[in-house]
Amino acid sequence: MSETVIEVHGLTKHYPGAKAVDGIDFDVHAGEVFSLLGPNGAGKTTTVEILEGLRSPTGGTARVFGVDVSKDYGKIRRRVGVLPQEFEPFDRLTPTEAVTYWANLFDRRISKADAKKLLGQVSLSERADVQGLKLSGGEKRKLGIAMALVGEPELLFLDEPTTGLDPKARRDVWGLIRRIEGEGRTVILTTHYLEEAEVLADNVAIMHKGKIVAEGPPAELVARSGARTTIVLGGAGKEGLEEVTRRGIPAVLDHDDVLVRVSDPREMKTILAKLSALEAPLKDMYTRRATLEDVFLRLVGAKMDEGVLQA
Amino acid sequence: MNKVLADLTAFAKQYMRSGFGAFFTFIFPILLILLFGAIFTNTGSSTMDLPTQNLDTGPMGAEFLKALNETKVVRVTMIPATVDLQRYIQDNSLSVALYIPANWTRDVFVSNASTHAWVNVTVYGDPSKSTYGMAIGVVQAVAQQANFFIAGARPIVGVDPASIASPQYQYIDYFLPGIIGMTVMTTAMFSMTSVCGEYRTRKYFKLLATTTLSKAQWLASKMLWYAIALIASLIVTTAVGVMVFGMHVTINAMALVFIVVGAILFTSLGMLLGIVVKDPESGAAVANAIGFPMMFLSGSFWPLESMPGYLQTVAKALPLTYLNSGLRDAMVYQNMGSALVNLGVLAALAAVLFTLAAKLVSWKER
Repeated sequence: MSETVIEVHGLTKHYPGAKAVDGIDFDVHAGEVFSLLGPNGAGKTTTVEILEGLRSPTGGTARVFGVDVSKDYGKIRRRVGVLPQEFEPFDRLTPTEAVTYWANLFDRRISKADAKKLLGQVSLSERADVQGLKLSGGEKRKLGIAMALVGEPELLFLDEPTTGLDPKARRDVWGLIRRIEGEGRTVILTTHYLEEAEVLADNVAIMHKGKIVAEGPPAELVARSGARTTIVLGGAGKEGLEEVTRRGIPAVLDHDDVLVRVSDPREMKTILAKLSALEAPLKDMYTRRATLEDVFLRLVGAKMDEGVLQA
Repeated sequence: MNKVLADLTAFAKQYMRSGFGAFFTFIFPILLILLFGAIFTNTGSSTMDLPTQNLDTGPMGAEFLKALNETKVVRVTMIPATVDLQRYIQDNSLSVALYIPANWTRDVFVSNASTHAWVNVTVYGDPSKSTYGMAIGVVQAVAQQANFFIAGARPIVGVDPASIASPQYQYIDYFLPGIIGMTVMTTAMFSMTSVCGEYRTRKYFKLLATTTLSKAQWLASKMLWYAIALIASLIVTTAVGVMVFGMHVTINAMALVFIVVGAILFTSLGMLLGIVVKDPESGAAVANAIGFPMMFLSGSFWPLESMPGYLQTVAKALPLTYLNSGLRDAMVYQNMGSALVNLGVLAALAAVLFTLAAKLVSWKER
């Protein structure tokens, strides 16, 4: 087992009338991408801000590199890079100037060429000399990641790194996070995008109302939850549902589609054979693997809207 | 030190590129000097008009008006004898007017020869206007001279005006340190309060809290920048004053020390005010609420001695008073002893405010 970078035990953060974080425990090991997943208000950002030394916990312990962050965060500051959720670049500094400036604040001196090289790594070379206020949302996020990386941190906190980005910019950032992981750095990724956690994270902690309701590798969480593969009979309608149930196959109607959940993969072949003889008109027929969304639905009954978890 | 310089460089670039800060540090004081210089120096006409209705047809009325014109303080303009004077004053919104009654020459000589009763001219006007006071003063002085002439007497006691500083100094020379003191306050305090609002709104404080830069280092870099910018502003403003208005003021080491200590003090005060500021807009409101009364009560524009006693007491509690006084001591009176006393008060206040700002301001969330 690799070194434990973060140890959280019984961590709480209470405000008058609200428990933002309510007794959570988790460990993060060196070199992994650990995702805190949950809808807005689940307590993800409060948790990472405690780990970043920006908030004091009400109770419990949070240790990063073995240091109690509520007491001695200063000792590990150089080893940590942070992209806050609400990152905004300095309006009147260019990315090159911002990165050079930020390096100094981590006791590093980098040349203009080094700054541009780093900006190249986040695909921001062409905008390296444009003032911050002229950058797009995606470019701002990339600059934020470059600034978080400039101190060469061993641990990187990325709080909602792709929120508000278009699909292309989001995929660019994903590629960047994979590359960072490839360099052996530990990444704490908070997100409310299920797909993001599924694609990027080695381990996921699903948060809901300040608590961790499930934790583990995404595939294991799916398997553990009992969520099943689903056969979708597109456009089969009520007529299709009646025909399927007449053949002894349990199914439900979802809008105009009929959903058949397969609890045992060994039954898949038999069910498919029965369904292929259906006479009801079909627009489409396909199978859908269980995802973290199914896990989330089963655990907390939360819904998703355009890929974003809803509280 | 590297971190302070890096933060200073980044802040200076943003400050100068925004244009707003540069305007208030360099352009605004120059505009003030040009404006007040034009008002308080003798480059333009300082003679005021004195509208007069003269109903006297004898020589005394005409001689009296001639004497008034010769003072160069007023220029007599005539109101027709046929109009109703009070109505004319109202219709033309005059702040002052002189009235010489009919048969004034005759009445003067009759009074001198027998009755010895007063034979008056009348100055109408609005006592709240400074021109009224000036007109009263000039007319009284000319009337006094007329009395001496009629009585065949000559004045014995006179007044010999002498400047307490070097005789070549003008009022604008005394005014310049006030403008510089005000610029130190507005640039450092107003700007810093807004910066705190912006840094809080845009979460820059939170971002900075994740770095190894300390609050004291951040504050020090701002002080250093404001000190540099304000020294440059002092030099530019003074140069404009000297070149355009021929001012006779001295920029010496003591004046520079005052600028540096003033920058430290007002930057710290701005950061302290920033504690209650949630955004740049409320920052401007808070800075205005504190800054404007201080600007007017601290002798930036007029001498403290001209204010009521209780306001002079209030002024003694305001740091800008010591900066203005100290700058005048250093730049005008060359009174280094008094300058050092003012500097001591300022330095003590600056040390207290710096310590409080570095300790009390929090970058973190609750």
